[in-house]
Amino acid sequence: MTANKYSVLNTRVHNVDGYAKVTGRATYTFDVKLPGMLYGKILRSPHPHARIISIDPTEALKLPGVKAVVTGKDTLGVKQGIWRRYPELCDEQILTIEKVRYIGEPVAAVAAITEEIAEQALDLIDVQYEVLPFVDDPMEAIKKEAPMIHEGVERNVNVTRHIEWGDVEEAFEEAEYVREDWFKLGGQAHMCMETRATVASYTSDKKLTVYTSTQSPYYHQALLAGVLGLRESDIRVIAHYVGGGFGGKFELDASQFCASILSMKLSKPVKIVFTREEDFVATKRRTPMYYYVRTGVKKDGTFCAREARVFSNGGAYTGMGATALYLTGFFHSFPYKWKAYRYDGYRVYTNSLPSTSMRGFGAPQAMFCSEQQIDWIAADLGLDIIEIRRKNAHTTGYEVPGQATIGSCGLNQCLDKIEQWIKDRGKLPKNRVIGISAAGFMTGGIFNWFDTPYSFSSAVVTINYDGVVELHVGAQDIGQGSNTTLAMICAEALGVKLENIKVHSGDTDHCPADLGAWGSRQTLMAGNATKMAAEDAKKQLLEFASAKFGYNIVYDVDIKDGWVYNVARPERGMHYVDLVKEALRGKDGQRIVGRGHYTPHRKGMISPAYSYMVQAVEAEIDAETGKISLHNCVTAHDCGQPINTLGLIGQLEGAASMAAGYGYLENMPVEDGKVMNPNLVDYKIIRAPDMPECEIIEIDTYEPEGPYGAKEAGEGLTNPTAAALGNAIFHATGLKMKQAPIMPEMIVNAFKEKKKGGGTP
Amino acid sequence: MSLKCPVCGKLKKDPVDCARHMFGTGDKPHKAWFEAQGLSYIDLLLSQATEPGNKAYIEVGGLIAKAQQG
Ligand SMILES: [Zn+2]
Repeated sequence: MTANKYSVLNTRVHNVDGYAKVTGRATYTFDVKLPGMLYGKILRSPHPHARIISIDPTEALKLPGVKAVVTGKDTLGVKQGIWRRYPELCDEQILTIEKVRYIGEPVAAVAAITEEIAEQALDLIDVQYEVLPFVDDPMEAIKKEAPMIHEGVERNVNVTRHIEWGDVEEAFEEAEYVREDWFKLGGQAHMCMETRATVASYTSDKKLTVYTSTQSPYYHQALLAGVLGLRESDIRVIAHYVGGGFGGKFELDASQFCASILSMKLSKPVKIVFTREEDFVATKRRTPMYYYVRTGVKKDGTFCAREARVFSNGGAYTGMGATALYLTGFFHSFPYKWKAYRYDGYRVYTNSLPSTSMRGFGAPQAMFCSEQQIDWIAADLGLDIIEIRRKNAHTTGYEVPGQATIGSCGLNQCLDKIEQWIKDRGKLPKNRVIGISAAGFMTGGIFNWFDTPYSFSSAVVTINYDGVVELHVGAQDIGQGSNTTLAMICAEALGVKLENIKVHSGDTDHCPADLGAWGSRQTLMAGNATKMAAEDAKKQLLEFASAKFGYNIVYDVDIKDGWVYNVARPERGMHYVDLVKEALRGKDGQRIVGRGHYTPHRKGMISPAYSYMVQAVEAEIDAETGKISLHNCVTAHDCGQPINTLGLIGQLEGAASMAAGYGYLENMPVEDGKVMNPNLVDYKIIRAPDMPECEIIEIDTYEPEGPYGAKEAGEGLTNPTAAALGNAIFHATGLKMKQAPIMPEMIVNAFKEKKKGGGTP
Repeated sequence: MSLKCPVCGKLKKDPVDCARHMFGTGDKPHKAWFEAQGLSYIDLLLSQATEPGNKAYIEVGGLIAKAQQG
């Protein structure tokens, strides 16, 4: 074990906001109470597809305690979306005027003095619909006779994406073995502990304050300005604490829009908190996909060519789904070198709840198909499952043609560690089997579809008289611990102790703009901005130190653990706080302020850096009931330089839990456009007793683009688990799992087949 | 027989490859070319994506080749 060269980084630190959270003092949106506050509720469409003929709120307004009812006609009718650079993809009105396109779509909103009265009022709003034919499956929606969901969008094809490199046909001809499969992947709910919630407060000076549960306060500030006709700076978005996002909370949602519209109408604060059922049926989900994969390899396992085709169930609106469609195609090539690769993706509108980004952003779907097919190919060719992956693995410096350059890659070390773990595990108990999967993921998306002139991430560091450092960032902590990570980077860069750092985030009036917590941006992008701001502040301090000590150049001086010293003679120096005091006097009382920003330039199409991982799951499979239990989940993980090892483990365990749920539990059936299990009884997620032992084997690499060599951890690990589980089942039963989640009846049938055939089919 | 994309001029190795490029690019100018020929871009694209064989690519590739020969 090598000594830690850092003072703060690569240690185990509890979250800087831990005390506030465990003592219940952390204020989530649900806890916000303002004087005179009203409560809002939303009336939702009972039809998957219908034209709105009329909405009559007369009876609702007569109910004592009801203060207002708003419909689409009370809005500017702006079609909004996150793709501001591509207006045709901004297709959602939130309070719709003409048509509803999914069950649960907002039709009207009520504000009343209590939540109960608002709820009662919903029943009194008279909406007349002309019910239209609907379609909720993408393969049906592309048929010529299918109903048109958005005017002018032929065959309901919302977005197409194409990725191609090399000569695919030629490479398939070189292949000595070709295999093709179709897969079907289901949706998944984000299942945040905190449901969508907003308190909007508009005052007659045309200022709007919005407390909301968001992954990007800046996005919401800008998006609300667009739909409400206000200036961005007249809107203040506050989200100090957020109970999870997972990709579902950076688009504008109905709680934010309706609470704001009602508040503007009444000049009173309005609070809307979604119920768990609303969070299930009326927000967006992980994208369901039909996946076709054709792969050509040499007999020795060398990968030649791959062709993939995806039809995704986009639901009623675009949301972030267009990016998921692109990324699933990109990550389907991961983490291997393909001589030639072709992907065609089709996102199809349907009359069901919209699909959007979710932790992994298209990659879990891709990995489920790719990593299982690799095991099937290995079995057909009699090859070792580790060796076939090793032979084709990405390596540092590899260029994914036209897409990305891999600055650091520890995939082969990950494979070595997992191979060793499997050997050490030895003979397994009865009915137990191990499956593996590899994966890679991005470290922050280089997508500026939001069309913002601001930096992707910014930070401001201010040093107070007592040595306390105020770090202002726009990056939102959504529970993943990014404020702790950024505080650690700030402390390390400045050379002070972690307890000297105070992080301020989640308030657009006081924090610089940042695109938000999505696509694993925080550690690398906000981390780089923070490091730059801290180094800027440190340089200013050292100028004073240098002047005081009388050394001839600035670089003779440094700060570490709060001690400012001569590098050649560390005993000569002074305490950091004393230096800060001198510096303040030297600057005529002005505080030291450092600024930092980060926007990736010339870093490829997708991301400046990529993480890698290989996972082994040990599962027990009950032949009678089809029940799957996970017993071990071991991941060799390359995230570059770890920052907070405790936070890292928490993130990786959380990801494995969500990923396993995607693999075998989280079934989200939609029938006639309706989610059939919108509650925590019928929608099964991994609970504490279901959670296997998780072991993380950290692989040391250094990412040149990351702060101190750090890159992504925690999102990418939602990618391999479902495939690893599928592979475990394949090795136990011989059955190829072509549908996720893997349901018990599929296992039972597999064992029945095996019994009938007298062996592995 | 190498062919030039009639829209952006990219050189492609044969008619099918050229058609594939045109569908794959699928931006406004490439889509407009289909319409100018009296073809439905989306119908051909989906027939190619959902039916076996390379019918749509062969049809479109044939048209491009014919136009360039002519
Ligand atoms: Zn072209």
